[in-house]
Amino acid sequence: MLKVMNEKELKQFIDKLNNDYKVAAPVKKQQGKQEILEYDYIEEFEEIHLEEQPDKSPKEFFLPQNEVLDPEAIAKSNPEENKTIIFGVRSCDIEALRVFDDVFLDDTYVDPYYEKRRDNTIIIGYSCPHREPTCFCDQLGISPHENKLADLYLYKFDDKYWIKSINEDSEKLIKDLADGDEDLFDEKLKNKKDNFGESDFKFNMETPIPEEKAFNAPIWDDIAEKCLGCGVCTYYCPTCFCFNFFFDEDDKENQKYRSWDSCMFSLFTKHASGHNPRETQGQRWRQRLMHKFSYHPQNYGGLSCVGCGRCVKKCPVTLDIREALKSTEEYLKDEGGAVVED
Amino acid sequence: MEAYYKEITDKIQKIAYKLLDEGKVDKIIGFGKGEFTDEVTPVFIVNKENVDKLLFSEKATPFLAKYLLNYKDEKVAITAKPCETRAINSYLSENLLQRENLIIIGINGCRGIEGNTACKECDVRNPVISDYTVGEELSDEEVSSMITNVYEDLENMNPEERNEYFQNEFERCTRCYACREACPVCYCEECFTDSNQPFWLDSSTQLKDTFTFHLMRSIHMAGRCINCGACEMACPENIDVRALSAKMYRAGEEIFDYKPGMDPEQKTLLAEYDVNDQEKGFLD
Repeated sequence: MLKVMNEKELKQFIDKLNNDYKVAAPVKKQQGKQEILEYDYIEEFEEIHLEEQPDKSPKEFFLPQNEVLDPEAIAKSNPEENKTIIFGVRSCDIEALRVFDDVFLDDTYVDPYYEKRRDNTIIIGYSCPHREPTCFCDQLGISPHENKLADLYLYKFDDKYWIKSINEDSEKLIKDLADGDEDLFDEKLKNKKDNFGESDFKFNMETPIPEEKAFNAPIWDDIAEKCLGCGVCTYYCPTCFCFNFFFDEDDKENQKYRSWDSCMFSLFTKHASGHNPRETQGQRWRQRLMHKFSYHPQNYGGLSCVGCGRCVKKCPVTLDIREALKSTEEYLKDEGGAVVED
Repeated sequence: MEAYYKEITDKIQKIAYKLLDEGKVDKIIGFGKGEFTDEVTPVFIVNKENVDKLLFSEKATPFLAKYLLNYKDEKVAITAKPCETRAINSYLSENLLQRENLIIIGINGCRGIEGNTACKECDVRNPVISDYTVGEELSDEEVSSMITNVYEDLENMNPEERNEYFQNEFERCTRCYACREACPVCYCEECFTDSNQPFWLDSSTQLKDTFTFHLMRSIHMAGRCINCGACEMACPENIDVRALSAKMYRAGEEIFDYKPGMDPEQKTLLAEYDVNDQEKGFLD
């Protein structure tokens, strides 16, 4: 189903959705000296900013940095209550949910906390208006223009907003809007795609990256030479999901908590004995890169990097994963493997 | 690039080429440009043909001095902003580095780094230790005219207002530890937050835990913080992390007339006791 709106109608559409559901979208927030863009619940349409990439992905809506794990509360809750709509999500961040689904909705164990939030959320994607210098989703087989994992997808061509349903369930949300002309839409989308440009970085590696060739490669210390060892890249990554458990007392009782953790930290792998199997930052960087480009693909089929570039943007020393991938590719090429020839 | 920075950049490249060519050092730690971005990023040059990657500009936001601790037994050269030369002095005073292994290319007359509020307070704008210097020195008068008091408003707040200010700031903390890792003088072999035997602090971002980390860190900063602003530059949430350690810095200066990192022979504030030391705040 394809519909078309002007800005005023889009406002009415969002306001109506916000009556029936809780709508979250990229909003500007003052952070000390700087203004940042992050997903939050909105009061009104005017708060929404769609034109730039948000500083954070909507990861916290699915995996909060801290949460109390309360099995009784989760068993009682009904996903149909207080349904959330996340509006204006870019293709990279939508693709990240595929990675989360792989892990948290795995056949062998379904995470009830994640499952509830996932079932409770409707995603309205937004076709990227332009490339950021740090973006490389196109090199990882992800289209910045649309993504089938969303429920609805919004496109802006000139001063008109077009909205397309991706699954039947979501058709009811847009059925009252004016119909859009499919041919005209296809033409405009093709035109946008033709003029969008490509990432300077080219990803030519065969994936999964062969573990036996890359694991002991003498490249990791050089890749990690400037790494400070903080957790910024992992915490702002839309696909990094590693977590830690701890018990803490609140006002009443001892509760079990889950909080984010990062493979960039020495404590991440430190044993109670004091031994640390990943002693160096090079080993930790190898884990981060290989998890995304070798282990996740081995386990689930797809990459677990979506090319959003936030790790590059947010890194205090601009350690660029694209340069790390390029070094890996060059090494493997010299070793005669894992590179797709042009 | 502005002529001022162009000149400094050219000189750095010339010195770096000579040092590598003559085999005086194995590696140059400097500022450079990323391959796919325009951001200034640390670069490690081992081949003299690559010295053209080195640069310096007002966008040189990373702090390099701490990398020296990764090359304790190697001969390395480093391009150092004046604040970084203070960090190097601190390392030398604690015998963490060997002076003879190190060549320091100091940057004279630092005008400050974009977005770093510490630079507005900085009164050490020429290197305090160096083998080579690049750029024009700034005179004491010029330096004094560049100083502003960034924390006047915070100092004038009453305790409740200040508490509210810090709550608003630190509730954004994600415990990513970028401040700690970027800090040139946060170099404990094991930070208390990284200990699992015993376990001191949960990994949560509840305010009580976040505050515990930042307050513990700031207490450890007394007499060590060189007020360089690396912490605030690294913070991905734009938290005013420096406010806490800068307070320690000012307290050291006001009470004991002490400025860390001014001399390689200087002892750290807490390593030295003088019977005439003021005991302000202690049992009064």
